[in-house]
Amino acid sequence: MVISLSAYFALTVLVLPEKFLAQEQLVPIPYLEVELSKIEIDLGQSFILSTISENIGDYGDIHIVSAAFPTVQNIENNVKIVSYDFSNSPNYINYEDKIGANYSGGLESVLAQYPSIEAMNRPVYPGIKYVMDLQITPEEAGVFAVYLKAINIPHTSSSSHFPQSGQLDHQGEHVLVYTVNVNP
Amino acid sequence: MEIKQKNQSENPIENYSQKIFLLGSVLVSFGILQVTVGGSWDITNHLLNKPETFFSTPHAVMYSGVAISLIGVAISFFGYRNLQNFKNIFSLPLRIKFLGITLLIGAGPFDFIWHLNFGLDGLLSPPHLTLITGMLFCSMGGMFGISRFLKLKSSNIALSPYLLILGILPVWLAGSGIISSLSLPFSNTDYFQLNPDPLMAFIVATTLYPFLISFCSLTASRISNFKPGIVTILGGLFLLIYGLTAISPNFSLLEAALFYSLNLIPFVISDLILSFGKSKRFSLCAGGILGSVFYMVYFPYVMYTYNEVLLGKLVSPSMILHTYFEILPQVLQLTIIPAIIMGIVGVFAANKFSSKILMK
Repeated sequence: MVISLSAYFALTVLVLPEKFLAQEQLVPIPYLEVELSKIEIDLGQSFILSTISENIGDYGDIHIVSAAFPTVQNIENNVKIVSYDFSNSPNYINYEDKIGANYSGGLESVLAQYPSIEAMNRPVYPGIKYVMDLQITPEEAGVFAVYLKAINIPHTSSSSHFPQSGQLDHQGEHVLVYTVNVNP
Repeated sequence: MEIKQKNQSENPIENYSQKIFLLGSVLVSFGILQVTVGGSWDITNHLLNKPETFFSTPHAVMYSGVAISLIGVAISFFGYRNLQNFKNIFSLPLRIKFLGITLLIGAGPFDFIWHLNFGLDGLLSPPHLTLITGMLFCSMGGMFGISRFLKLKSSNIALSPYLLILGILPVWLAGSGIISSLSLPFSNTDYFQLNPDPLMAFIVATTLYPFLISFCSLTASRISNFKPGIVTILGGLFLLIYGLTAISPNFSLLEAALFYSLNLIPFVISDLILSFGKSKRFSLCAGGILGSVFYMVYFPYVMYTYNEVLLGKLVSPSMILHTYFEILPQVLQLTIIPAIIMGIVGVFAANKFSSKILMK
């Protein structure tokens, strides 16, 4: 009996954990393409921003696409989600909402400096494309900017986010920057 | 007062009524077993974040279990009404069942309204707490009813060990559900932040899980008069149900099936120790062993409680296995002594409790 119990603890505490910890972790890799219907509009007109994203790495648990709007404080009236095929409904994140930062998975957080929309798919198999279309109607003339990024979880390395370099947003995370000129 | 071992066959109506009461108790326990299976499956679905509405399969399993329990309580009541000599023996189980089923039935519409208003809910939402508390009361009522019937009949029924296991298993699963609700960080939602404080959750898990394993196993052993095999079957069924509902739905955990199945060993060893004799020494030894293995028995979700204190990182479903084993040495260092102590405390509690059940 003592031998059986010793064998049990040896297997469950020493042998098997060692084996599981030696296994390579999955590395899901996100990829994101963005299409703008127009790059120049008159004030009062709308344009469509489409995101097409996918996981080009291993199986992942979560795929997130974020579109943020650094030139406005409120998007309730001027950004509409026209369509999406993510498993979870996209979330509106408002100015000064508490959000994660630095790809820390919630360990670090900041207050949002501008609004954004986050779409999420769970789980995320390789090779499946996810689309989200936004209809945007700027309320002021000038340059209207949109920050876009995709993140896969588990976030194991810089491969788990897209883009991997470039401008940083309010979360300290890399983004693609797209702009539309809004004429008065 | 002790249950007298009278010859009940003298009165056929009495005999028949007792059997009806037993049938009701069996149905209550079986229904609650079904509710706990559905509940554990539901928690796994929440963790995997499969889009859910009230009309999900785990909810269907749970609420059909509630319906079976309700029928069981009604049958128990009819059996109880026709009892002539032993009403006092069966009144406590019936009262506990009534309390439990009231909470269970109330939890259904409460949960439906909650989902309508707040969408995806957390583990420790008010309707879930109502449901789990109702489950615990109902399962205890079922167990009391089965145990007292078996005692009254001097256990002269071929199926008695299996009936006893059917009575105790739902109590163990429902008790585990309450401890999980109070310790797992799965209760924050957009509307409510109900996650337990990490340190309190650590203490709750470290003390109550070992206690519960030991308490349920030793209660089963004592009520069956230390019948060999009882603890092994009970532990094996618990592992099987937990494995099927909490591990197998998450494909990234399937490779840990061998690891999890090894947990049968401590139950077999404890069973052997208990079958050596009725000495308290043997019971304490078995309780200590059972308490010490709680982190392995409650694989994998118990990891989330300890991760909150030790690492604090986001653990998505495919990372569970890695994180579980990453913190295992630290968790064992911190918990092995209190877990053994709580396993031993579980032995004393089981002694008292089984005396109460058997009305000694």
